[in-house]
Amino acid sequence: MIHCHNLQWGPAGQPLTPPLNLYLARASLTGVIGGNGCGKSSLLKVIAGIARPLRGHIELSVAPLGGVAYLVQQQALDRQFPITLQDLVSAGLWRSRLSRPQRQARLEQALADWGLSALAQHSLQALSGGELQRALLARLSLTDAQILLLDEPEAALDEPGLALLWQHIARWQAEGRTQIIVSHALSHMSQHLDNALLLSRSGCIFAPIRELIGQHSALEQVA
Amino acid sequence: MSLELLWSPFVDFAFMRRALLGGAALAISAAPLGVFLQLRRLSLMGDAIAHGILPGAALGFWLYGLSLPALTLGGLVAGLGMAGLAAWVTRRTGLREDASLAAIYPISLASGVLLLGLAGNKLDLLHLLFGSVLAVDPPTLNGMLLVSIGSLLLLALIYRWLLLDSLDPLFLAGVSRFGPLAYGLFLALVVLNLVVGFQAIGALMVVGLMMLPAAAARFWSRHLPRLLLLAAGIGASCVWLGLLLSYYANLPSGPCIVLLAGLAYISSVVFGPQNGLLRRPPRLSPAP
Repeated sequence: MIHCHNLQWGPAGQPLTPPLNLYLARASLTGVIGGNGCGKSSLLKVIAGIARPLRGHIELSVAPLGGVAYLVQQQALDRQFPITLQDLVSAGLWRSRLSRPQRQARLEQALADWGLSALAQHSLQALSGGELQRALLARLSLTDAQILLLDEPEAALDEPGLALLWQHIARWQAEGRTQIIVSHALSHMSQHLDNALLLSRSGCIFAPIRELIGQHSALEQVA
Repeated sequence: MSLELLWSPFVDFAFMRRALLGGAALAISAAPLGVFLQLRRLSLMGDAIAHGILPGAALGFWLYGLSLPALTLGGLVAGLGMAGLAAWVTRRTGLREDASLAAIYPISLASGVLLLGLAGNKLDLLHLLFGSVLAVDPPTLNGMLLVSIGSLLLLALIYRWLLLDSLDPLFLAGVSRFGPLAYGLFLALVVLNLVVGFQAIGALMVVGLMMLPAAAARFWSRHLPRLLLLAAGIGASCVWLGLLLSYYANLPSGPCIVLLAGLAYISSVVFGPQNGLLRRPPRLSPAP
């Protein structure tokens, strides 16, 4: 599903890690952990095709358009932008071939799933950080992308929001979607994920997440 | 005093009618472009391009005299070239787009003035920059109407892409390859509107019609389609009232129109319901 060959990435001329070789199967759920600046978000951008790798290449067995969905960090959005939350979320149906009533039904379902129904007509400016994060997740859940790249998906979410998030991640996995999650919330990750990739300048380790966190040295690098 | 004063100059004089039609059409197509420029934080782009048009128009004038197609084509090539060059420098070097525009437009302006000098200075620079809406002849009017209608149609076609590309280009890139093309077409529309406007009301006056109604409208709505309509409406009304003002008070028309748009902007800053000065910030609503 996702196959990295001798992959190196980072600012020009300064690869952040030694070459990475990694294969992630369909429906796998993988965490990416490591300290600040170790290249977690950049790795997602390279996989999403937004940034170019410095060396090596990636094979993705999905459609070039609509196959990969990237959960953008919400600071990237202009909160002054004059559209409603519903307009933002409905962009998730961009490639959908459903009829108009079906799309409307799916949109309303997604808004309800993420607890956003009452906010549908609010402008972006009127939303809290957690509400905007839910909206971005709702938009993602409307896409048919088979690879989901989640950059700090738990950002700004409250407890009910977190519960919704992990519930959806489990559902997406059951649907056969391949997910990579970048996060610093190690305790949540170790509860819900099997494997993780630990990034550091000295090397990349792919292993069961409990082992990685169990390793004292690894934990130090992460913390 | 009767209401007839509001339209009698347009009934009585063909040149006033042409000025109104052409000016209003241009205002209606330029103002929505201004709204999008503002959303993309490129408010000064129109200003830069308006200056950038000059060398092309001057070259056209030097070679072919005061010919409408030559001036238009020259301006179009120079404007597109400048916007393209700025975008290219930005992509290749990472210099911010406003910085590369700011660097390129004095070069354009200076070379334009130089070319006008070489051409024997028969064309007034002030006329190019500020123009006279009362000089709209039938061919110019046709050009303005054509560009206005075509530009509105094209904007409607690319609207979806342009909207998402302005808000969240990364998401759009994941679902469509049309984002960069939509942005390129949009810039071409900006240039086209400025070029067509510069002969009629002057390059800098069109920038006023493009940006002032857009800036004013933002104080009245947070809903994009409404913003676009509002900006177009404000622009067209300013053309109409500005022409009347210039007619009755015997003042130059371009500045009258733009200053009225400026008045609309200032009163929106003060009275507008969305973050206007006289509005208190909305009370916090309890979380659902």
